[in-house]
Amino acid sequence: MDPTATFSGAATRAHVDGVPRIQQDAFFCGPTAIAMVMQWAGSDIQQDQIAELAFSPRAKGTYQADMIGSSRRLGQLAVEISTFDQLLAEVAAGHPVIVFQNLGLGIAPVWHYGVVTGYDLERDAVYLNSGQEDQMVLPFDLFQRTWQRGGNWALVVLPPDDLPVSVAEARVLSAAAALERVGQMSAAETLYQTGAKQWPDSWLWQFGLGNALYAQGDLRGARAALRRARAIAPDVPEIRSNLAHVEAELGG
Amino acid sequence: MRVLGITKKGVALVLTAQLLIATQTATMAQAEMLATENAINKYATHADRDYLMDALQRDDVQAAMIEEGVDPAEAEARLAALSDAEVEALVVQMQNDTAGADIVGTLFTVFVILLVTDILCFTRIYNFTRCAR
Repeated sequence: MDPTATFSGAATRAHVDGVPRIQQDAFFCGPTAIAMVMQWAGSDIQQDQIAELAFSPRAKGTYQADMIGSSRRLGQLAVEISTFDQLLAEVAAGHPVIVFQNLGLGIAPVWHYGVVTGYDLERDAVYLNSGQEDQMVLPFDLFQRTWQRGGNWALVVLPPDDLPVSVAEARVLSAAAALERVGQMSAAETLYQTGAKQWPDSWLWQFGLGNALYAQGDLRGARAALRRARAIAPDVPEIRSNLAHVEAELGG
Repeated sequence: MRVLGITKKGVALVLTAQLLIATQTATMAQAEMLATENAINKYATHADRDYLMDALQRDDVQAAMIEEGVDPAEAEARLAALSDAEVEALVVQMQNDTAGADIVGTLFTVFVILLVTDILCFTRIYNFTRCAR
C-alpha cells in the first residue's frame, strides 16, 4: 500500500510528544500500555498497579474488556476505535492510541498491546512504544496486517478533560456514564463538563453532570446543572423527575 | 351483605390497603434519581441519524439538492440505508470538518449535499460512503 495515497485525507505526519517508553515485565504488555498513556497524561501510576485491576494470571494476559474497565476504574475516559482513519485522526490530534496486535501468525499467534505514538505517510512508518526500551517502527502494510490479525482493536485512553476526536458524541457520553457506574464521580463530573462545552446544545451532558454532582453530595450544583438541562430540553421527563427529587431534598 | 364470607367492610379495608401500597410504590419510584446511562440509551443512540434526517428536511437543503438534480426523497432513502456505524462516522467527520464554522449556515448545507452526491456516486468526499451504484 502507498500510505500517502490511501490516507490522502490525513495529515502527512504526526507525533505525540512525551509518551514514556516503559520496559514491560513478563506478560504485562496490557498494563504497560495503559501506564504509558496515563504517565503521558501526568499520572505516576506503574504497570504493576494497573495489572492488579486488569491482568488475568491464568490467561497470562490482559483481556480487552479489562483494558477498558481498569482504565475507567482509574478515572480515565476510555473509548474503543476500529478504523485506520480514526487511529490517524487521534494521533494527529495529539492522542496516543493503544492497539492490539498479533505479531505472530494466525496459526501461531503472539498477542500484544502497544501504543501508537506517531506516523509518517511519506516515510511509510508507524511509530510505537511497544513495551521495550527501543521504539518500534513498522511500515504501514506490516502494521496494518498485525493490527488486522488482532481484530482492528484500539483504545483511546485520555484524562476526562480531553476529548477523543474520532468518535460520536453518544460514545463519549457512554464512557462518561461508565465512570459513574464504577464510582469515579469526580472524573465523570469533569468529563460531563468537558462534553457540555463541546456539545452545548445537548442536554444529556448537563443531566449527567447533575447526577454526578448529586452522587457527590453537591445538591446545589446538581440543581443548577439539571436546571440547565431543562432549559435546553424543557419536555424531558427524566430531567423533571431528577430535578424534582433534588429540589425536594433541598427543601423546595 | 356477605359474599364468600367477606364483609363489605372487609372489602373496603383491602381496597384501601391496595390503594395505599400503589400510592407508596409510585412515590418510591420517584424517590430515586434516574440514571444517566438509561437516559443515554433512550435518547442518544439515534441522535446522529435524526440529526442528519432533520438536516435533509430543511428547506434550504432541499432547495439546494433539487438545484443539484438530487431527489430529496431518494436522498432520505439512501440515508436510511446507511448503517449506524456509517452514520456515526459521517457525523463525526462533518463536525470535525466544520469545527469553528457556522454549522447551520451554507457550509453545513454543502456538507449534506456532498454526502448525498457521494452516496449517489457523483463525488467522493467521505471515505466511508459506499457508492450505491
